[in-house]
Amino acid sequence: MDWDQFDLNPRTIAALKKADIKSVKEILNLSGADLQRLMKLSSADIQCLLKTVSHTLRRNCMLTALQLYQDKDHFTSQHQKLSLGCSVLDNLLKGGIPLVGITELAGESSAGKTQISLQLCLCVQYPYKYGGLESGAVYICTEDVFPSKRLQQLIDQQHKLRADVPAEIIQKIRFGNNIFVEQAADLDTFQQCITRRLSLLLARGMVQLVVIDSLAALFRCEFGPAQAALKARYLQSFGAQLHSLSTRYRTPIVCINQVWHQIASFSMGTVWVVGSRVTPALGITWSNQLLMRLMVSRMSLPGHSPGAASHSAGSMRTLSVVFAPHLPPSFCYYTVQLEGVKGVK
Amino acid sequence: MQREVGTLPLAPALRARLAAAGFQTAQELLDTGPCGLSKEIGISREEALEALQVVRQECHGDAARPAGGSGATRKYTALELLEEEQSQGFIITFCSALDNILGGGVQLSKITEICGAPGVGKTQLCMQLAVDVQIPECFGGVAGEAVFIDTEGSFMVDRVVDIAAACVQHCHLIAEAQQEEDHREALETFSLENILSHIYYFRCRDYTELLAQVYLLPEFLSEHSKVRLVVIDGIAFPFRHDFEDLSLRTRLLNGLAQQLIIIANDHKSAVVLTNQMTTRFGQSQSTLVPALGESWGHAATVRLIFHWDNSQRLATLYKSPSQKESTIAYHITSHGFRDVQPPAVTHSPEGPELNPRKRPRAEEEQQ
Repeated sequence: MDWDQFDLNPRTIAALKKADIKSVKEILNLSGADLQRLMKLSSADIQCLLKTVSHTLRRNCMLTALQLYQDKDHFTSQHQKLSLGCSVLDNLLKGGIPLVGITELAGESSAGKTQISLQLCLCVQYPYKYGGLESGAVYICTEDVFPSKRLQQLIDQQHKLRADVPAEIIQKIRFGNNIFVEQAADLDTFQQCITRRLSLLLARGMVQLVVIDSLAALFRCEFGPAQAALKARYLQSFGAQLHSLSTRYRTPIVCINQVWHQIASFSMGTVWVVGSRVTPALGITWSNQLLMRLMVSRMSLPGHSPGAASHSAGSMRTLSVVFAPHLPPSFCYYTVQLEGVKGVK
Repeated sequence: MQREVGTLPLAPALRARLAAAGFQTAQELLDTGPCGLSKEIGISREEALEALQVVRQECHGDAARPAGGSGATRKYTALELLEEEQSQGFIITFCSALDNILGGGVQLSKITEICGAPGVGKTQLCMQLAVDVQIPECFGGVAGEAVFIDTEGSFMVDRVVDIAAACVQHCHLIAEAQQEEDHREALETFSLENILSHIYYFRCRDYTELLAQVYLLPEFLSEHSKVRLVVIDGIAFPFRHDFEDLSLRTRLLNGLAQQLIIIANDHKSAVVLTNQMTTRFGQSQSTLVPALGESWGHAATVRLIFHWDNSQRLATLYKSPSQKESTIAYHITSHGFRDVQPPAVTHSPEGPELNPRKRPRAEEEQQ
């Protein structure tokens, strides 16, 4: 750290160099008394030092809420969101997925989570005007193989799903080229993937969406109940790294999560009901890292067996907002068609 | 002039030498002069000159500063404190049940902590308070401004717009009902743009940025003297990862708490913090407790815990110096933080309480 460029007393700079303090973080980590002892300066000098380094770190950081509201720039505005490719679903989410933060998509198996994520991987490649981010996506698989056949189907049918986009724009986008698939079957590989591969792709501006399918699979086998603290540390560390990448590169991170069934009895008025409730896996430690949680579920309609193919037009599914800072708890229906996921009014 | 040497802002080594040499008050130092001082304690003339300059500045500062300034100690009687507390405003939350259990609302000059699981409404309350602090005095507010420090990125300005619009609407209705001149005047400046322009937003991406921001807060609050609310949403997020050394974390949190208490007092602002919940494994079961450990529990004056009961949101006043522990229900509507509406019609059947495990007979008969 080049202390000479700071607006400090030469005596303070000399003391910093002598005490071998290398970063602003080190200064802020030490208490006032420790700094006085280490640098042999008076408390007035130390206060001045703290204020100066804080100023340098936080120069021009203030915004008023009005400026945030009136900001219409693609690269900074909060109003910019990633569309899901369907106006009904976008209305539920008031525009789409927010660009900064971790969004979770939880649900039972074959409820449609992978379908929605594949659709997002295609939506992100459209121009800003059509709800995309003009960039690619990273899809991190942790257990299943990447559904490339289904992706190809979706690509072929994009003109049908996105009737709002002119055909020549759709033809110009090389969808398959911009989706990067990573496999990470255990925690260490996943850690490597986030710290190396992901940061590289994001830094080069090649992707503006990260899908992780799924985080719970990494933790299923390796952690027994006695290792709850270790599991929590991993989850917090991953959450913090993903959050930091999301903030730095303005990239939404969509995490697919599985659910646990809980048999519970709860009261509804004067009646007790024994039912099963689904809660997303990974517990409160993971929930604390999220900006927004969405849940998908599949209702088997009478006349259709629950094992019907996931692309059958008949089964109705619900996409619900469990929590989000800007959305009320609400839901809408959708179906999975050949061309993709479409909301039903 | 009678200031003790130990309280002067000099380097600790120098202070130790002065104490060893037998100097006790600032006046003695000034009387000795630089030459005498350098000879007695064995420092150079320049250092002695500097030290005396500091001492002189301090003593002048003490005399010039009115009693009650920061740094100088002043005696208060309990009666004066009571009067000061009673005249202090509250920031209302628009949920009258919550305001009641808090004793009127979120108190100025105190630190209030809101703990809860994700999605229960902590950020919503913070956004509501950032709007409510600006309510003009004639409508029962404190006419202040708000500082919002966001560490999680959950401040969605569209939501604040909804809340602010509903608040303005509410005040318009009151003004129409009461038809007073000062209400109409106040409403001219109480508009959506005005409210948004007085919420000062800071985004801190890790704990170092948060610490730096809190160091800069006193200066910011002196420049923006109308600020009456500082929100840090959330305080736990940056401190709950990457800390192998938990004692460092405890020390940093304690330091932060100290600074926030001073800020709350000096600038007569309410400080509101949001905290996460974590699982504590007990003997036979696990419970949800506020994060950041036991020692952090002492930082806040007032602690609220938000939790769910089936699908009803509840707020429990867990810690307060003046109010008793109680729980109320609240709602989050499109307008913001509100009371639960009392049920319009009661459906419960007259007569003896049904056994909750049995379905009422009426349904069976209909089938």
